[in-house]
Amino acid sequence: MSDTAVTMHDIVKTYRETGRCANDHVDLTVGRGEILCLAGENGAGKTTLMKVLYGMEKPESGTITVMGKRVKIDSPLDANRLGIGMVHQHFMLVDEYTVAQNVILGREPMHNRFTIDADAAKRLVDEVIHAHGFSIDPSARVGSLTVGQKQQVEIVKMLYRDVDILILDEPTAVLTEQETASLFGTLRTLRDTGKSLILITHKLHEIKAISDRVAIMRQGRMVGHYETASVDERELAGLMMGKSFSPAIGKTPYGRKQETVLRFAQVSVVRRNQGRPMLKDVSFVARTGEILGFAGVGGNGLGELESVLAGTLPISGGTITHRGQDISKSDAHRLRERGLAYVPSDRLKVGSALEASVSENLIIAARKRFSRHGMMRGKHIMQHARTLIDTYSVQGTADMPIGTLSGGNIQKVILAREIAQYRDYIVFSEPTWGLDIASSKFVHTQMIALRDAGASVLLLSSNLDEILSLSDRVLIFSRGSIVAELEGERLHTVTKEEMGAYMLGMHVREAAHE
Amino acid sequence: MNDRMDRRWKRFLGVPRSALGSLVILFIALAAVFLLSFLLSKTPARTLRYFFIGPLQNTYYLGNMLNTSIPLIFSALGVSLAMRAGSFNLGGEGQLYGGAFIATVSAVAMAGWGIAGVICAIVLGAVTGGVMAAFSGYLRMKWQTNELITTFLLSNAVSLVVGYLIAGPFMDPATNLIATRKIPESFRFSRILEPSNLSSALVMALVMTVVVHLYLYRTKSGYELRMYGLNPRFARYGGINSGSYLVLPMFLSGALYGLGGAMAIFGTYYACMKDFSVGMGWNALAVALIARFRPVAIIPAALFFAYIESGARNAMLHSDVTFEIASIVQSVVFFLVTSSVLQRIGTKRERG
Repeated sequence: MSDTAVTMHDIVKTYRETGRCANDHVDLTVGRGEILCLAGENGAGKTTLMKVLYGMEKPESGTITVMGKRVKIDSPLDANRLGIGMVHQHFMLVDEYTVAQNVILGREPMHNRFTIDADAAKRLVDEVIHAHGFSIDPSARVGSLTVGQKQQVEIVKMLYRDVDILILDEPTAVLTEQETASLFGTLRTLRDTGKSLILITHKLHEIKAISDRVAIMRQGRMVGHYETASVDERELAGLMMGKSFSPAIGKTPYGRKQETVLRFAQVSVVRRNQGRPMLKDVSFVARTGEILGFAGVGGNGLGELESVLAGTLPISGGTITHRGQDISKSDAHRLRERGLAYVPSDRLKVGSALEASVSENLIIAARKRFSRHGMMRGKHIMQHARTLIDTYSVQGTADMPIGTLSGGNIQKVILAREIAQYRDYIVFSEPTWGLDIASSKFVHTQMIALRDAGASVLLLSSNLDEILSLSDRVLIFSRGSIVAELEGERLHTVTKEEMGAYMLGMHVREAAHE
Repeated sequence: MNDRMDRRWKRFLGVPRSALGSLVILFIALAAVFLLSFLLSKTPARTLRYFFIGPLQNTYYLGNMLNTSIPLIFSALGVSLAMRAGSFNLGGEGQLYGGAFIATVSAVAMAGWGIAGVICAIVLGAVTGGVMAAFSGYLRMKWQTNELITTFLLSNAVSLVVGYLIAGPFMDPATNLIATRKIPESFRFSRILEPSNLSSALVMALVMTVVVHLYLYRTKSGYELRMYGLNPRFARYGGINSGSYLVLPMFLSGALYGLGGAMAIFGTYYACMKDFSVGMGWNALAVALIARFRPVAIIPAALFFAYIESGARNAMLHSDVTFEIASIVQSVVFFLVTSSVLQRIGTKRERG
């Protein structure tokens, strides 16, 4: 018997749909009775790696050893049998059932073959709850519990299944500060009883607060395992973000006459039943002839900002003006009429109708221009499509369903459409996510061309290299607010570690002084 | 699939590969006819001959078969239009019945109006069906109710009310049938294939098929409707007013059903009989499914359904099987068309 609980060796997992290698020969070791944080940016491959361990994803190659034994894990049931449990970010509970009923679901104590021993169920669940110092009532209905309590139910569910290795996927993302503190207390107790815990997270202070060791992933690769005490937050940020600067794409510094196109003044978005605003007092101006970059880690407001810009998320406070006219209350329809051009982050679910043809996808926002007296002008549409397909060298034809194109080509079609549509400003959200290098470069070149032609380009991206190499000005979001604005000399000298620190919520006060 | 195979598939019977799945289904259905004839009939050869040749043997049977397909075409167009917008209209039967009833009583009331009366009555019938379906669409837009359920429930309720009206206040005292008064003779559509029942409503059905096709694929509104049906989020992203595409397609769908009902009255029955529409809504759904909601494909699909029905009727008259053989074969078709696997035969395999 060794003191490693889990060893994952040389795991490779490629997603067929996008061709992206989510895990590129990854190694991971988890010790017995330790808390390991698995850290990295969005899309670094953390969740994929854990899904492989939990039997939810099948890797192309690699080996897994649990408690010294080589194992094959094909399903979560296999994983449970081996003593591995996972608590997902989204709870998988039946609201109408009681805590005890939820916990035993799938492994019920039985009187005989057909009837459940309800008393035994309650007793067993009660034992688990008391043994680990949880504070939930086994007979309470799950629907009536708070988020933090539901998470406890999920953990109890796993402990009831006698797991020794517990994976938690961003467990604090939905918790308040107090709930987080109490969760950490629970996790420490569990560790002290000899359980091994793996926490997926990208929050630096949490890594420092809870973990014994930290394993850092970046772009599908394992950067390394570190003793938490031996690295500080700044170093962690550096390891997560990567140090290398990609050389900036050649562009002329902006010197044109700059006019304000879009102005956000104290814009807030509050969703019902959610204490913390999703956007809080966001103010900025977007001007012609510049690329304005928005940086932030997922869940910090960029997604909401995108929806607000698209006109699909109403704002609860503040005003937005376009060329001096109030557009705070304009929906997508009105914004499109004003010339909104927007490349969405979700290309397949929002940016295209996969079964419709390329030509039909190309005219969605410009359909008025391609119809006369309510009739579509087929010839014009086809000609328009052919021209754009040519200009952007899309591999495909006008009448193919767009869903049969590759990801990069779908993005080219969307770009072509939105660039043809733009009047004075254009929004790009995660424009190169999942694209290969050549397609990414193409997208970047287009953005710079737009800027040089005098467009106001808004770039929302979680890819720091992209933000830093393209933007003339950068706004950094953390917890729904702008925590820093970088421009000119400051933008040229900023390091990714510093950027990471801003994005992860450190130095907020310093930033306010700058 | 390699290139050579690909080409061979494309050439197969000269039909597009995408229609292969439907052809396979029709083939299995016809095989079912053979099987049933041998099982149920003492003279299977005679049964089969009347089943398959019967509907085509003279103008009377041929005309009646074509006539049976008319309401099917209208109704299947109705199903498809809603479906293209991503909405379900399961209330076709009630919309058809309600439309037919209103068209009949308005025609009776407007007996002296001449051609204007015909048009008014038919339009009123269509609007009746349309309003019924649009109401469900409106409920979905307003309160996110499930239109699949509301159309169905509303249709059943309306059918009962119409049934009462026909048997009660609007019953024709001159006959023993439970039916309304007959529409004026001058309002009736001309017979185009004597001695059969086939009326010029067939022309209307063909015209309407073309109109629906043009609407969907040539107009801006049809484009918006289809995009909304394919991906509502994409439609909204592109600035399409999403609320209206929950209501408008339902109205048009219901109106086509109502029109189908009115056509059945003006072309064939002349009076609205109690429960004359029973089964038409479901058969139309099967027709639309076979045609995969493509207007132009609805015509052959509806003819096929009418053919099965006429064949069964013929076999029943001239041999020893019952009319239920038609229901069984239609059920087989219905069952098979819901299989996505069969539908996908010959089309590109889905990714993932």
